[in-house]
Amino acid sequence: MTSYHQITLKVNGETEVVNVPANMTMMVMLREELGLTGVKNGCAAGECGACTVLMNGEPVNSCMVLAAECDGAEVITIEGLSHNGQLIKLQEMLIAKGGVQCGFCTPGMLISAFALLKRNPDPSENEIREALIGNLCRCTGYVRIIDAVKASVEK
Amino acid sequence: MLNPHPGLPEFTYVKPASLDEACGFLVDHAGEVRLISGGTDLLVRMRDKAFKPAYVVDIKGLEGTDVLAFDPKSGLRIGAAVPMNRVVAHPDVQKHYPLLAKAAKSVASYQLRNRATIVGNICNASPAGDTLGACLVLGGRLNIYGKDGERFEDLVTFFKGPGKTSLQPGEIVISISFPLPEKGAKGTYLKLGRNKLSDLAIVGVTVYGFPDKMIESGFRIKVALTSVAATPLMPPVVETVLSEKEITEDTIQKAANASMDACFPIDDVRGSARYRKEMVRNLTRNAITEVWGQLQSGTKNRLEANR
Amino acid sequence: MAVTDKMPELIGKSPLRVDVHGKVTGAAIYTDDIQFGKNLLYARVKRSPHPHALIKKIDTSKAEALPGVKVIVTGKDYPQRIGLYLKDKNIFATDRVRFVGEAVAGVAAVNEEIAEKACELIEVEYELLEPVFDSIYGASPDAPLIHPDMGDYEVANFIFPKPGTNISNHFKARKGDVDRAWKDCAAIVEKSFHIPQVQHVPIEPHIAIAKADDNGRVTLWASSQSPFAQRNLIAKTLGISESDMRVIAPYVGGGFGCKAGVTMEAMPVAIALKAKGHPVKMRFTREEEFYTNFVRQGLKIKLKVGCDKDGNLLAMENTMYWDGGASTEYGVNITRAGGYSSTGPFDIPNVKTDSMCVYTNHPIGGAYRGFGMSELHTGIGQVMDELAEKIGMDKVEFLKRNAIQGGDINVTGMKMHPIGLQECIDKVAKGINWGVKEKASSDNKLRGKGIAISWKAPAMPPNAGSSAFIEMNEDGTATVNVGGQEIGQGAFTVAAQIAAATIGLPMEDIRIAGPLDTQYSPYEWQTVASRLTWSMGNAVRFAAADARRKILEMVAEAWDEDVDDLDIINGIVVSYRSEKEMSLKNIVVYGIPKEDDQGWIGGPVVGQGSFMPSYVTGLDPETGQGPRAVVHYTTGAQGFDIEIDKDTGKIEILKAVTAFDVGRALNPELVKAQMEGGMMQGISSAIFEEIILEEGVMQNPSFVDYRIATTVDVPRVMETYFVEVPQDDGPFGARGIGEHPMTPTIAALGNAIYDATGIRLEGPPFLPEKVYLAMKDAGILD
Repeated sequence: MTSYHQITLKVNGETEVVNVPANMTMMVMLREELGLTGVKNGCAAGECGACTVLMNGEPVNSCMVLAAECDGAEVITIEGLSHNGQLIKLQEMLIAKGGVQCGFCTPGMLISAFALLKRNPDPSENEIREALIGNLCRCTGYVRIIDAVKASVEK
Repeated sequence: MLNPHPGLPEFTYVKPASLDEACGFLVDHAGEVRLISGGTDLLVRMRDKAFKPAYVVDIKGLEGTDVLAFDPKSGLRIGAAVPMNRVVAHPDVQKHYPLLAKAAKSVASYQLRNRATIVGNICNASPAGDTLGACLVLGGRLNIYGKDGERFEDLVTFFKGPGKTSLQPGEIVISISFPLPEKGAKGTYLKLGRNKLSDLAIVGVTVYGFPDKMIESGFRIKVALTSVAATPLMPPVVETVLSEKEITEDTIQKAANASMDACFPIDDVRGSARYRKEMVRNLTRNAITEVWGQLQSGTKNRLEANR
Repeated sequence: MAVTDKMPELIGKSPLRVDVHGKVTGAAIYTDDIQFGKNLLYARVKRSPHPHALIKKIDTSKAEALPGVKVIVTGKDYPQRIGLYLKDKNIFATDRVRFVGEAVAGVAAVNEEIAEKACELIEVEYELLEPVFDSIYGASPDAPLIHPDMGDYEVANFIFPKPGTNISNHFKARKGDVDRAWKDCAAIVEKSFHIPQVQHVPIEPHIAIAKADDNGRVTLWASSQSPFAQRNLIAKTLGISESDMRVIAPYVGGGFGCKAGVTMEAMPVAIALKAKGHPVKMRFTREEEFYTNFVRQGLKIKLKVGCDKDGNLLAMENTMYWDGGASTEYGVNITRAGGYSSTGPFDIPNVKTDSMCVYTNHPIGGAYRGFGMSELHTGIGQVMDELAEKIGMDKVEFLKRNAIQGGDINVTGMKMHPIGLQECIDKVAKGINWGVKEKASSDNKLRGKGIAISWKAPAMPPNAGSSAFIEMNEDGTATVNVGGQEIGQGAFTVAAQIAAATIGLPMEDIRIAGPLDTQYSPYEWQTVASRLTWSMGNAVRFAAADARRKILEMVAEAWDEDVDDLDIINGIVVSYRSEKEMSLKNIVVYGIPKEDDQGWIGGPVVGQGSFMPSYVTGLDPETGQGPRAVVHYTTGAQGFDIEIDKDTGKIEILKAVTAFDVGRALNPELVKAQMEGGMMQGISSAIFEEIILEEGVMQNPSFVDYRIATTVDVPRVMETYFVEVPQDDGPFGARGIGEHPMTPTIAALGNAIYDATGIRLEGPPFLPEKVYLAMKDAGILD
């Protein structure tokens, strides 16, 4: 037995109205109801960070949020970071520094880094590492990702 | 868990408009309901088939659950639905309860701390809960709402076992409050994980101390141990060792040994009992040493200021 | 021949990757992102809770009655066996289950929850059998047989199973005479190590969708390193002709070997064949990812090494019992690779190696980055460390004295090609300031340094081939078609770079045709073995050279000039003689008109290339000797400067340095990125990772208790170096690097721990608890 809920939320600036079962997570709603497949499913347990999105300005693991809890929320996914093909500095630096390999952790990593720079525009290396602790990467060894965040700081 | 659900099992999501409505629902559906605020423990357990609630009741938005306020006369109050990051970032928490901020900041990841709550950490009652030690030594007090109205309970009596608290059917914790910190208080939380950060606590040691003229040693030092027994421990013998005479390196070692002897950790996939005991001793020693050092320089500063 | 011999400018530069724009915007499509519409069914798997049991009865009636269930299949529907080197795997268990998690039935339903519920309703009756949980025990005559019919299994002719035992491959190497050589040894070290199973942990779990048309054609979409191998193996097993099965492989979110060969992909195909045209999607949970598919084999290795009074290695005896798990269809070749690499990169005149692949009732060991080398070198790197100490020689000096060199005859009788191992050792030793005993940062820390060397050859059948074709486009760009997969290593980028450099185009004018699709893409054996830059790179180079030649011949004819006087620079054909110029635009499709409207020259330009090594020979089954065991070895070194916390046993890596001879770094930044990522995966698996098994049941199948390195676990300083001693038949001299950076890691860290504490642990993971309790028991803590 599952209840259904009609929710209204803003995703990447667009208003969306979705009818969701109680047991649908925000991650599944974004991927399968709204077609935002840039949000990645790596563990569905709040550990890997591949599903990280901004909810009301703060990064969350969307697999740990019920879709029903998103009523009235403002959500930014990876698709909402760039505008009209224009990449933000973080995306450009991640490319330039070689911080993308298989790319599966990349969307979540960018959202976490974006949120970090918003709340802490000039983070130390330790602060960068701690902010990204919840985004697992198996390919890069993290070094170039951290370098990319450093290079994205607006001086 | 070997074979969890790919997604969440079916359930009915309920968002009550008031505390009374929520409590009424809990009573009517006793045994079939779980509460959700951050959901970071609940959703994992539901996927794991450990929890199978027919109803999940969302407490976000209920009266008193969103408060995060410091009153210079009475202390700090944290609502049940306040995410840990908000607590960590609050200037009054950083100023007056830095130990709480430190403990909360050690939990998992920034993303999870945007959802996880301190009250949730407490109600979950995992013996390893990162904020439990700090909440205990800071004298946390729970504000609980039930069908008979409000009641208050000191945290020290709240934990009954892994996942077990003194909450009665129909009760919801609305907030936790902390009295004003004692003058000159210093504290620390040392957590041992398998990797550098982000792990669960294999062993957690919280130490909190402040000058107290009524005590032989001149200081009251509280020690809380997590992940070493079915509930968080505050072994009285450890406090006694640190109160009965002057605190020296030897007393600290004695207190550390007493901590080790007072706990009964288990062997599990995260660590052996033997290692945990050794770590309790080592971390207790280090934590007390750290706090003791801060207390001493604090005392020195006060003495100099008073000249 | 129009291809110039001088090194093109682009080679050795680091143009940006060609696949990253979509990856940073979220537009890049991975297998779970493909939309299939309302027709899509979801599959879930019923799994065995027992490590070893006969299946007495399967009752699917209750599951069949559940509304929404469309297909249920069991092993009865598909009794055929499948496997890469040894056909020992069932798609669904037939008469018995051999590991906890083995697939017993598959269900397709309208959604995942109903499929899951249906699995719970399937009732299976088991009769428990005696299990095997240890590879040495498994190899002994006392152990129950896990594959009693192994003698009937189809097997590649370079694998030697022992029917009537649990040994599915026994590789022997006999070089010189070890028994005589021990007498001449001034120092001998004997030691055993145990390397437990670990998992690849790609951030993208396994996923595949299959669809069968009613004309018998099957399409498989999969997160796959091996579309062609999957097509060929699955088709052959199910009685479909290769060209009637099509595999489409979008970007892979991490493979590391676990998405090579046939892993879980046969299951959705098997289900789809009965699903009346519905596409069937099967995706793994993270928990399933940890133990139901591929893991890295475990290893128990016994080593005996000896040297003369001057520290020259004289003899080695190496006995390896590989914990292959319930199926070793892939693992048998890991055992072989361990065998023909069994000395490590050392010159040892007398060698006796027995490398055995043993069935156990553990998760299935398969290809994992390093293909046995990390496990092997864990032992080798540490016994050499001990032997150097025993003979009283500086450890780096010992390595340099004994490291194999070009011209040496190695353990299989193969003459080594030129390698830059000495330079790699020097770079690493310098990087960690070897020879200087440095103080710990505080009283409660112990400081130590360790170094190890390693080698690896691409492990593959002797006839693993690559092919490529290049289509020139009207706008002057070139579309490069390959069968090698982009799994994050940069395969598409290096293919583009080689094509651009060879033809004479800028990088921006190269397109890579993707996703891989066996219907359109040219054949590539598999994306494994660190072979793509070398093998696929050669095919791309030949295809590009072919396209270039066709263009130059066409223009030469049009200009009535000599092909050797022409060149292509940045997409413009130029003549060094007449200084004429012509853009590639249009002519590469429409040709060049003759003068005075007298006809046309040329036409659509398509270049083709193919590469397959011709010189790999077999090895004698009793001695492991043969003229050419492998195509080549990549060699290198790694070192660590660490501190150990005496209070907790935690290891902090102050400095990590690695150097490998890559022949030629076509794209230096990509090479370094592989070294950083590989070293980090090595560190993570050395310090944190273990598949904790109790009675065959994995105790930690989630990120909570199977921890991998995070951002804060990265060493304070990481340095990566490459050395370039060209490979004679590599494109521009290049050799592979993808796997190698994680192969010496465990040994180097083990050596550093020994240097710091005087304790040598039996094997990884070097968890804080293990290190602490070892220090406590050794009495070195206060």
